[in-house]
Amino acid sequence: MKRTVSTLAIGILVATTCTVGPVRAETIGFAQAIKILADSCGKDIEKHCKNVNLGNNQIQACLQQNEAKISAGCKTDYARVMVLLQARFAAQAAVGQICNRDAQALCQKTKPGSGHILKCLNIAQRSLSPACNQAIIDAGYR
Amino acid sequence: MKRTTFGLSLALALPLAFTGAQAQTALDRNQIIESLQGAEAKATISAADLRAQALQNIKQYPGDNATTALPLADQLAKLRQFNIEIVFDFNSDRIRPESYETVGIIADALHTPYLAGQKFFVVGHTDAKGDREYNLKLSQRRAEAVMDALVTTFRVPAERLEAVGLGEEQLRDPSQPDAAVNRRVQLINVGF
Repeated sequence: MKRTVSTLAIGILVATTCTVGPVRAETIGFAQAIKILADSCGKDIEKHCKNVNLGNNQIQACLQQNEAKISAGCKTDYARVMVLLQARFAAQAAVGQICNRDAQALCQKTKPGSGHILKCLNIAQRSLSPACNQAIIDAGYR
Repeated sequence: MKRTTFGLSLALALPLAFTGAQAQTALDRNQIIESLQGAEAKATISAADLRAQALQNIKQYPGDNATTALPLADQLAKLRQFNIEIVFDFNSDRIRPESYETVGIIADALHTPYLAGQKFFVVGHTDAKGDREYNLKLSQRRAEAVMDALVTTFRVPAERLEAVGLGEEQLRDPSQPDAAVNRRVQLINVGF
């Protein structure tokens, strides 16, 4: 039964990532994603978003408001970056469920909280189910 | 402080970083994790006390540059910490696009299980150019801008971070008060 649940969860995760994002199921880190924004939209940001900061997704909102004026490359990429960030958030949120069975089997004695279970799963890397292993990688937790 | 030089600092710092030993100097997530992980007890330093001490240092020992370390400096120095360069607009708390990746690297590190659940001060520092009180306020706003980006755009839980601006009151290299090395954002692990 539990197996069905985790398989389902992955199915959902993969499906979500595929429908909202580029074709690949794996995710990239926040640094890598936001670097795409800086590289591709840096000039447009300096031109059109001089009064907004990185917080609160203000930059992306500003680029959207100025969509008519920004470069074609930036237009494609700022939307892609939002999707990439969302994919990483979703991957992080999904780990608990996908790795639940692994945690119960391998980290029974570990006190939950403060990343203890995830650290235990990382130590037990070779014994992890492929799904949990992939979930941890996609979340950037290793 | 960094009137015109702040924007320049990255232009100068990056080529240095890349012409040096490449793999060693490019900032990566694991460097931050290794420097910050493993805090065992909760530090008893409050962000409010630290801010108050910086202001008090200016009032009590006025002058062009700080001459006295903050009372909490020794205690702070014992905590796990990491210095990072983030470039802002001139006299502003606006993070420049060339530093987005750096903020993202901090976010990547803070999200890992190795730093999960731990609390950090995000401390802003300036060099010693310009007025001390002005620098104090600017560094506070800059620390808040970094924290804000981490908490909102990158969803690091807000309760794990506190922004503290120390202006030019805690120079990294007091023998060169105007040097670029003093302009930095410091992450300090204050425990669980």
